[in-house]
Amino acid sequence: MNPTAEPVTIALASIPNSGKTTLFNCLTGSSQSTGNWPGVSVEKKSGIFPLGEYIVTLIDLPGAYALSPVTEEEQVVRDYILNSPPDIILNVLDAGNLQRGLGLTLQMAASALPMVVAVNMMDETRRRGITLDLKALAQHLGVPVIEISAKTGEGLPDLKEALYEVIKHPEKTRIPHISCPPLLEKAFFQITEAIGKSSIDTRLDHTFLAMRMLEAENQNQWTSNEKVAALTKKWQRHLKQSLHTSFPVVCAGCRFNAARGLAMEVLGEQPIIEDKLSRRLDHIFLHRFFGLPIFIMLMFLLFQGVYGLGAPLQEVLSVAFDRAGSWLSSQIMVLSLSAGLQSFLLDGIWQGIAVVTSFLPIIALFFFFMSLIEDSGYMARVAFLMDRLMHRLGLDGKAFISILLGYGCNVPAVMGTRILTSNYSRILTMLLIPFTLCTARLQIFVFLTAIFFTSTIAPWIILSLYGCSFVAVILTGFVLKLFRIGGAPEPFIMEIPPYRFPTLRSVGLRSWYEMKDFLFRAAPLIMAGVLLVWLLSHMPTNVPPASAATWAGQLGQILAPVFQPLGIGWQETVALIFGFIAKEIVVGSLAVIYGGTDLAGLMGSHITQMQSISFMIFCLLYTPCVATIAAIWSESRSLRITLISLVSGLTIAWLTSFIFYQSGLLFGFH
Amino acid sequence: MISAQHIPVSALLAQSECIIRSLGSNDKTSQRLAQMGILPGTHLLIIRVAPLGGTIEVNDGQGQSFALRQQEVAAMACEPVAMPLVSELVVKGETYMIRDLCGGKTFQQRMAVVGLQKGGLIQIREAGVKPIQIHLVDTDRQVSLGKGEAKKIIVEVINHESNS
Repeated sequence: MNPTAEPVTIALASIPNSGKTTLFNCLTGSSQSTGNWPGVSVEKKSGIFPLGEYIVTLIDLPGAYALSPVTEEEQVVRDYILNSPPDIILNVLDAGNLQRGLGLTLQMAASALPMVVAVNMMDETRRRGITLDLKALAQHLGVPVIEISAKTGEGLPDLKEALYEVIKHPEKTRIPHISCPPLLEKAFFQITEAIGKSSIDTRLDHTFLAMRMLEAENQNQWTSNEKVAALTKKWQRHLKQSLHTSFPVVCAGCRFNAARGLAMEVLGEQPIIEDKLSRRLDHIFLHRFFGLPIFIMLMFLLFQGVYGLGAPLQEVLSVAFDRAGSWLSSQIMVLSLSAGLQSFLLDGIWQGIAVVTSFLPIIALFFFFMSLIEDSGYMARVAFLMDRLMHRLGLDGKAFISILLGYGCNVPAVMGTRILTSNYSRILTMLLIPFTLCTARLQIFVFLTAIFFTSTIAPWIILSLYGCSFVAVILTGFVLKLFRIGGAPEPFIMEIPPYRFPTLRSVGLRSWYEMKDFLFRAAPLIMAGVLLVWLLSHMPTNVPPASAATWAGQLGQILAPVFQPLGIGWQETVALIFGFIAKEIVVGSLAVIYGGTDLAGLMGSHITQMQSISFMIFCLLYTPCVATIAAIWSESRSLRITLISLVSGLTIAWLTSFIFYQSGLLFGFH
Repeated sequence: MISAQHIPVSALLAQSECIIRSLGSNDKTSQRLAQMGILPGTHLLIIRVAPLGGTIEVNDGQGQSFALRQQEVAAMACEPVAMPLVSELVVKGETYMIRDLCGGKTFQQRMAVVGLQKGGLIQIREAGVKPIQIHLVDTDRQVSLGKGEAKKIIVEVINHESNS
C-alpha cells in the first residue's frame, strides 16, 4: 500500500432496510472486521478500502431512523457522530422509500459534516417504471447524490469518484432550512450562542449540537461548560411545559414536512407504486389460514437444512479428528514426550480444537439459511406472524426462530440473536436459548432412557423432557421480563420490506464472516474451558485420569452433599462437570468414571429410575456447554449477562431436580 | 360528524383506513412513529391482521408497509375514513359511500343486482339486526345482507349535508 496514504474515515448511515450492509460488503470486500460497539450488544463492522491516494476506513453504523435515540442502535449512531465525527458521512437512501429515508438525511445534513448521498436500489425502481429526479435532490441538499444498485454493483465507480472528490475538496454541508416553531428556534439560537462562547472544539455545527443537547438527559458527556448545560436544562423545562408533544416528535414533524416536499419533487407526478410481487406473495405467506402452516413448513425445512446437513458434516469432522489424533499419538515426536504432556496435547489441546471445529459446519449452514430468510424479506413476515405469541414474553417475533434453532444447537442460535431488533430481545433470547433441548443433550437422554426404561416408556420420558424444556423457556421468560434483566422493551414498529432475491455473494459472505467471527471471539474461551476440565480430570498426575482421586473426582465428592438431595451421586456429578465442555462427552465420561466395559449394567445397578430422571432434568437445564457460554459472552459483551445465564441455569436445574426427586420419594417411587 | 377518537382494538379490521390526529401519550412509541415519518395527518390503511391477531400490517401511503400492534394504534387518536360495513365504527343513520366490494366476480354481480356498487351511498338505520338492513340512499330502497357479505363491503365516511 501507499506509504504516504492519508487515513480517511467514512461512516455509512441509513435507516434500516436500505441495503447499507450490501453496499458495505461491496466497498470493503474481504477486509472487514467485526466487534461490538462499546458496552452494548450492537454489532460494529468496519472495513478498509483504497481510494486513489487515500486509505478509507468505512464504518458501518447500525440502522437508525433518527439521531434522537429511541433504540440502542440509534444511541450508538448518535454517540458516534457526536464523539468522533467521521470525515465524511455516506448516507444511503432506498429509492423506493425516499421520504422515510430523507428524514435521517436532513438530520445528518444539519451536522455540517461533508456528506455524499447514495440512492440505492435504482434497478428495482427502474423495473417498476419510475424515474427519479435526483438532480433536484442534489440541488436541494447541496451534496453529491449518486444513483447506485449495491446488489448489481451499478453506479459504484461513480460513488467512489464522488467520495474521492469530497475527500480531496471537503466542503461543509449546507445546513438545510427546516422551519420550526419560533419557540424552538429561540431555544436553538440561545444554546448555539452559548456553545459558540464556550470553548467547545468541534467540527459539528453548533445548532446541531444544541439540538442534540436539548434531546439528551445528560449534557455533560459533550460539554463540561456549566453555562451551556444550565441553559439547556432551563430550556428543556420550558419546552416541556409549553409544547403539547415531546420535543423530538415536534422536530420530526418539522423535518418530515421538508422531507415530504423533497420526496414529492424527486418523484414528480409519478404515483407511488407498491411492489405488486410482494403484495401477491404476502397474500400467500401471510394468509389468514395458510400463513401459519406455510411458516411451520418453512421452519421445518430450515431446521432440517441446518442440522440435517450439518450433523453428517460434524460426524465427518469428528472421525477425521479422531483419526488424526490417533495418528498423532503414534508419532515418535509425541511418543518421546512424557505421558502427562502427551495427554495435555491430545486430550487437552487437540480435543479443544476438535470441539471448536465441530461447530463450524452448523454455524456456516445456520447463517447461510438465516441470511436467505433475512435477505429475502421473509424474516419481517416471521416477526409479523409470531409477534402475538412472543410479545407475551416481551420478545419480538424473530426471537421465535432463534429459540427454535436452539433445539438443534445452542451455539449458533445464540450467535443468531444479533438479527433481533432490540437489545432487550437479544439479551432475553440469549438467556432463554440455554433451556432448549439441543441434540447433544438428546444423545444423553436417548442413552440413559434406553438403560433405565423399557422401549415403550422411553420415548414418553424424552417427550416429557421436551415439555419440561418448553415450560422452562416460557417460565424463565416471564421471570426475566418481570425483573427487567434486558432493560425496557422497545416499541414494536417494524417496516415490512418488499421481497427481494438474495444474492449468493452476500449470503456466502455472511456465513464466512460468522465462522471467522466465531473463531476469533468465541473459540479462545471454548479452548480455555476444555483445558480447565482437562486439568481437573488429569491432576494430580500420579492417579488414573478421571478417577475419584483426581481434582475432578475430589470436586465431585466435595459437591456430593449438594447433589445428594437430587439423587445424583458423585460419579454423575463428575460427569456433569465434564458436561460443561460439551454434552456429547457426558456418556463417555460416565464410562471412564465407572471404569467398566459394561456401562449400562453398572449404571443400572447403581442408579434407580427416579435418580436417572433427576439426572436428566439437571442435564437439560444447567449450563448447556462452554461454547454456549462463550457465545453469550461474545454476543452480549457483558459479564453480568454471562453470569446470570450460568447462575440461573444451575439454580433452575437444581431446584427442578430437587422438587422432582423429593416429591417422587414422597410418593413412594424409587 | 365523526371526529378523532381512540379506535378500539376490535375495530381495527383489514381494509379500514384512518387519519392520525395525535400519536398518543407513549413517548417511545410516538417518537418512533414520528421518526419514521408517521405523523398527525398521515393516512393509515390497515392491510391485514396477523393470523394470531394482535398485530396489524398497515400502509402509510409511502409504498412500504409496516407492522405494529393493535394496542399501539388504539392509543393514538384517529379519525376513521373507511371501514368494512361490519365495523363497530359504522354509525347508525350516517351516510356512507361504498368504496370497494372486496370479492370475486360473482359477489360483484350479486351486489350489482341488489343495487350495491362502488360509489353508491348507503345508510344503516337499525343497529344490531340480522340480517343487516342497508338503506340505499340513491334509490331509497332497503336491502338485507348476511354478515359474510357485509364484511366484504368497504364504506367511506362522507361529509353529508344533513350531518352538519
